[in-house]
Amino acid sequence: MGYLHLSITELHELLKKGEVTPLDLVKEAIDKMKADNNNAFEYIMEKEALEQASLLTKCEEDNPLWGIPFGIKDNYSTKDVPTCGSSDILKGYVPIFSSEVYQRLINKHAIPVAKTTLDELAMGGSGTTGHLGKTYNPWDKSHKHQVGGSSCGSAAMVSAGIVPFSIGSDTGDSVRKPASYNALVGFKPSWGRISRFGLFPFATSLDHVAYFTRNVEDSAILLNVLAGRDDKDSSSSFKEVEDYTLNLNKDVKGKKLAVIKEIVDSIDNKDIINAFNSSVEKLRASGVIIDYVHMDLSLLKAIYPAYIVISCAEATSNNANLDGIKFGQREDGDTYQEVIMKTRTNGFSELIRRRFIIGSYSLLKENQNELFLRAQKARRLIVNATNDILKEYDGIYCPASPSVAPLFVGSSDKLSNEYLIADNYLAIGNFAGLPSITIPLGFSEKLPFGVNLTCKAFEESNTFNLASKIEEVIGIKNIIAKEGE
Amino acid sequence: MPFEAVIGLEIHVEMKTKSKMFSSGPVSFGDLPNTKINPVDMAFPGTMPVVNKQAVINAIRVSHALNMTIDHELWFDRKNYFYSDLPKGYQITQQFRPIGSLGYLDIKTAEGLKRIRVERLHMEEDTCKQLHSWDCSLLDYNRAGIPLIEIVSMPDMRNGEEAMKYVEKIRSIVTFLDVSDGKMEEGSLRCDVNISIREAGSDKFGTKVEIKNLNSIANIQKAIDFEMKRQEQVILSGGVVTQETRRFDEASKETVLMRVKTDSVDYKYFTDPNLPPIRLSDEFVDEAIRTSPELADSKYKRYESLGLSEYDINQLLQDCGISSYFDEALKSGASPKLLANWVIVDVQAILNKEDISIKEFKISPLHLGELVKIIEEGKVSNKQAREIFTEMLKIDESPNELMKKMGTSMISDEEAIKAMVNEVIDANPQSVIDYKNGKDRAVGFLVGQIMKKSQGKVNPALTNKLVVEELKRR
Repeated sequence: MGYLHLSITELHELLKKGEVTPLDLVKEAIDKMKADNNNAFEYIMEKEALEQASLLTKCEEDNPLWGIPFGIKDNYSTKDVPTCGSSDILKGYVPIFSSEVYQRLINKHAIPVAKTTLDELAMGGSGTTGHLGKTYNPWDKSHKHQVGGSSCGSAAMVSAGIVPFSIGSDTGDSVRKPASYNALVGFKPSWGRISRFGLFPFATSLDHVAYFTRNVEDSAILLNVLAGRDDKDSSSSFKEVEDYTLNLNKDVKGKKLAVIKEIVDSIDNKDIINAFNSSVEKLRASGVIIDYVHMDLSLLKAIYPAYIVISCAEATSNNANLDGIKFGQREDGDTYQEVIMKTRTNGFSELIRRRFIIGSYSLLKENQNELFLRAQKARRLIVNATNDILKEYDGIYCPASPSVAPLFVGSSDKLSNEYLIADNYLAIGNFAGLPSITIPLGFSEKLPFGVNLTCKAFEESNTFNLASKIEEVIGIKNIIAKEGE
Repeated sequence: MPFEAVIGLEIHVEMKTKSKMFSSGPVSFGDLPNTKINPVDMAFPGTMPVVNKQAVINAIRVSHALNMTIDHELWFDRKNYFYSDLPKGYQITQQFRPIGSLGYLDIKTAEGLKRIRVERLHMEEDTCKQLHSWDCSLLDYNRAGIPLIEIVSMPDMRNGEEAMKYVEKIRSIVTFLDVSDGKMEEGSLRCDVNISIREAGSDKFGTKVEIKNLNSIANIQKAIDFEMKRQEQVILSGGVVTQETRRFDEASKETVLMRVKTDSVDYKYFTDPNLPPIRLSDEFVDEAIRTSPELADSKYKRYESLGLSEYDINQLLQDCGISSYFDEALKSGASPKLLANWVIVDVQAILNKEDISIKEFKISPLHLGELVKIIEEGKVSNKQAREIFTEMLKIDESPNELMKKMGTSMISDEEAIKAMVNEVIDANPQSVIDYKNGKDRAVGFLVGQIMKKSQGKVNPALTNKLVVEELKRR
């Protein structure tokens, strides 16, 4: 069955020993992508990857990413490689510069093999709204369940065993939620820890570079490469970068975790609750102090509306550059207004246009106070309440989703009145810019679900340490969908 | 019923920084279209803005020169609208917290100094340049992202002259601070006028009309004068001034309706999440001010103390480059008055003749100073100095060296001159008679003869003195 079901560290060992070459790995990845039927790829970088791999002959022993194939969400600018954000409006767009994340990975001689699908321009959580249609969940061969989004292709690619890691982006929970539906580790660091230069912006104040791996250690290895100041991104932090792999599997005795009772109480899947409770007991047995704490229900209920208003407002402005005048698809017209209007009407799907209208509406002078600024206030209150908890605890520990991957039927990415706290709370990590990681927790009717840990800003080291302990007590790691069938 | 105008100005100044306001793309003027751009300037997806430090320093300096309060925290906001010249679909500006606020500027008017209050100064970025032809529009992104300073005055001006003086002063500040070329003709300084009229002495405001397309300082005055009359006529004939935007038509010297303003556009301003607030340390702000180039007002005082006339001072301060050239030349130790004269007359004549700026002028300021010094020392005559000057225009060499090479040093040896004086007087006995009969021009004639004879090499003052002495003696 090849090698790509293995982790980064396992592959690195084999590459070091010369038991496998980067070219072998790339060929395997390409074969698997071609055979894959989950609709996870915008563009398979066959030629580019083979060329890169054939240049790699001497393994860099202290570089764990050397020769490792990976996928990257199609909202990262990749020089000379088509990038469209799974939107018709950018069909045919080939960037002339690379995102910082992509460049750093290439500099480390990791090999990009695919641009992966997403919900159009990363707006959505179902993996159904990209211009190529639905992306499927590798855990569900009947294709009835979603894979989750918006980083749907990146999630599917790792859980299908095609690459050991893939890059996504996380504005509300776009990596950490699909990680839960795919038995993956999904991580986003603090806001500012990884440069976003070259990431197509959705909602700048909430956007994070994030990624999928199959275990916690691989996640820490990646942060070592990706973290750090980038002068091209003014919001990237000057804070010093650590070696995030140093602190793994350390003693967690005396560490304190908070479980937010209101979130857990909103979940009715018994398998999830049982698995979660069992993990709490095991962690307690390892010396972790776990308390159930309360968070104001009205604040928890405000997360989603605040998220929608802020993210749509920023999105409508961030995507105003897509007017057909400079790049991408252009519709003809007699005036510039006609060109812009036709291009945007045809280039964006209805769901995107709805978001832009919501965003625009909330920014109008007469509405700004009542909507945009009020949402900002709500965000501030939610952040304060979260930070209050984190003053006393090392992290917040809750199930990552209230269910396994939802069915396609009956769910949609249209904004609705249906509301579940546990389905939306992960955005807290984006509101406050906190490091947040989803780890596999268990299975319900053969479909995976995960647990989430969110820690204090810039305490990535502590996050990984706790996460590796959580991973150990739960005992699910390095699995791919085939095994779970 | 006498009317008065209420005038406020919005001035956009294009900065001549090395790179653009939020990108490393180069700032340049007059290059081939779309050759001075980078992905940020064209708003390619994923690009992000980075604030230009020099632009901030410039904005601090201009704010300080305008006596404004300087915000020590930088905030940037987005002004959202769709337009073909706007790459991102929004312009980054400083709507909510301009870097400079509430200052003033004193201008000299016929009635003395007048204080014009300045409401705000903020940084923003320029749009791309559009060229419209009958069947298409061409876009040049070289201009996209060039740093701008916008300076908004309070409605404190009452006539065209005041407005003109105000713009002249702003232009002087931004050019002397080396922030901008300040060329209205080329668009590096743009001025929009807001004007309404009311009964003189009233404290109510009339309906405001905006005038655009003013491409020279003189046109500002012309446009305002015309517009005041136009609005007066509208009111006197029983009409109502409508809120509208007009442009100044160069040919007819009139303002022409562009569009009637309906509801103002909602730009949906919000703080740019790409640019978290930047705290400016006191040291940074102080340093920017301390190292600021000298303003015209301060130079004026300095030149006064050097004994220059008001005329000379104004001539030197008309162009920042000229005054800098003069300051450099002063370092040679030449006399300020004579030097100023050379700069204002001789240098300026060459600039006019060749239609070049002082930056392109071939003679280095120190060499010009040296030339003025050897004139003062009597080493060369004015005529010889001109010859050397002409030579220096070809090769910028030290005038002392040129003097030797050209053999143009002046004869100041009394005995040698005396010999020539006697020789010439002997040859022109009639002039002695003329002189005795009170005809002073005989002196001039004789000096001229000696000049001719010496090929202009004698010291004219000395020669004059010796001729008079000899004539008296005979």
